[in-house]
Amino acid sequence: MTYLNITEVDSAVTSLATAYPATSELIDLPEPSVEGRAGHALRIGATPAGTHDCAVLIGGVHAREWGSCEILVHFAADLLEAYEAGTGLVYGGTSFTGDQVRKILDELELVVFPLVNPDGRLYSQTVDPMWRKNRDPAQSGGDPDRIGVDINRNYDFLFDFRTAFDPAAAPRVSDDPSDLVYQGPRPFSEPETRNVRWLLDAYPRTRWFIDVHSYSEDMLTVWGDDENQSLDSAQNFLNHVFDHRRGVPGDAYAEYLPKSDADDSKVLAEQFCTGVQGVRGRAYTPMSGFQLYPTCGTSDDYAYSRHRADEHKGKILGFTVEWGDQRGGFHPPWPQMERDVLDVDAGLVQFCVSTLV
Amino acid sequence: MSSTSQPVLRVRVTAQDAETLRALLRDARPDVGGRPRRADDGSCSIEAYATAEQATALEREGVSVTTIENATATGRARQAEVGKGDRFAPADAVPHGLAVKA
Repeated sequence: MTYLNITEVDSAVTSLATAYPATSELIDLPEPSVEGRAGHALRIGATPAGTHDCAVLIGGVHAREWGSCEILVHFAADLLEAYEAGTGLVYGGTSFTGDQVRKILDELELVVFPLVNPDGRLYSQTVDPMWRKNRDPAQSGGDPDRIGVDINRNYDFLFDFRTAFDPAAAPRVSDDPSDLVYQGPRPFSEPETRNVRWLLDAYPRTRWFIDVHSYSEDMLTVWGDDENQSLDSAQNFLNHVFDHRRGVPGDAYAEYLPKSDADDSKVLAEQFCTGVQGVRGRAYTPMSGFQLYPTCGTSDDYAYSRHRADEHKGKILGFTVEWGDQRGGFHPPWPQMERDVLDVDAGLVQFCVSTLV
Repeated sequence: MSSTSQPVLRVRVTAQDAETLRALLRDARPDVGGRPRRADDGSCSIEAYATAEQATALEREGVSVTTIENATATGRARQAEVGKGDRFAPADAVPHGLAVKA
């Protein structure tokens, strides 16, 4: 086994949909990538779409974080194969019974989109392994060093960071196309980002969203713009009174997160980490995204913020996995990557089991 | 910090304390991997990805920069571990997850 190329990621998704027609369905994403590549996701569940609450999992957003696609392809394959065979799943020291697998597919809907950014992955796997963004040349002016948008800064959450954040906060985002974390000219300027938004709209029973990234062995919860607090609902991303005050730790502003959502997010993140640790002892850390660094325009914050910005949208608890450690960096040797796949897939199955409790 | 076609090094940036590291990240805006780690002596470190020139520019009072590897070279070597063709093209070729089914 080796890393999957972009043809294989898409072919794997298609193959699974063909092999397991009773429990999976191929989803055609509405927009091709900047370079014209079609994307596919996989709906997993034994009941018709929309019957149960849904978890959407995406990967392959940052081009150089190769293993994210493999984690999600193997996760889907494990569940589908075990359900059909009536078996459980064993990931090292973490195991799940056949009943638990059956319950996931019978009582939950999963949408797995393993390769959001095919153009970037191709470029990283064949030209520049450190490439992170998509391959959009629109803002480059013909300069190859200014190509690309960071898809995970292109969502509509505090996009106007110069207004939203304290000047001292220095959120990890940029409006300079030459920067690795270039946000793009406007929210959802990129077709890859719009495909993710489309999934959340097309599956309105989505209650959980997980974006798979690397690396730091963390399971991140909202928020990414500032510390969390559950006491003052006025301190929130929609309130312009607090413009220019976000993003500084330990000051008066902290982003409001209702206690019930904070508790639910914490429990699910902890359950994910428990599943991971059982495999071979890797200790992932559950924490809010802000504890990694201040950000905006990210997928997890956008997913959760939707129901606050538009009361007609359902509440989605957002998470970001940061798989892998400093030994492997962005490109672990494949044998090490296999161990990371086992770790994270055990955590994801545990996460799914925990949503059904 | 801009993207570049020059080789990218993976370096460990170690600051004497958390505030020094925060200031560095705020001012120099390096491309980072992972999150800051605090040592028993109070120093804080983080991995960053930078050209040789950029790595040198990160050095300042209270901050040391140690090269871990040439990340571009490692990544290029790892490109040999990417599949060729399409393993799932045959009609009966289906991905199998890595878990034991039992």
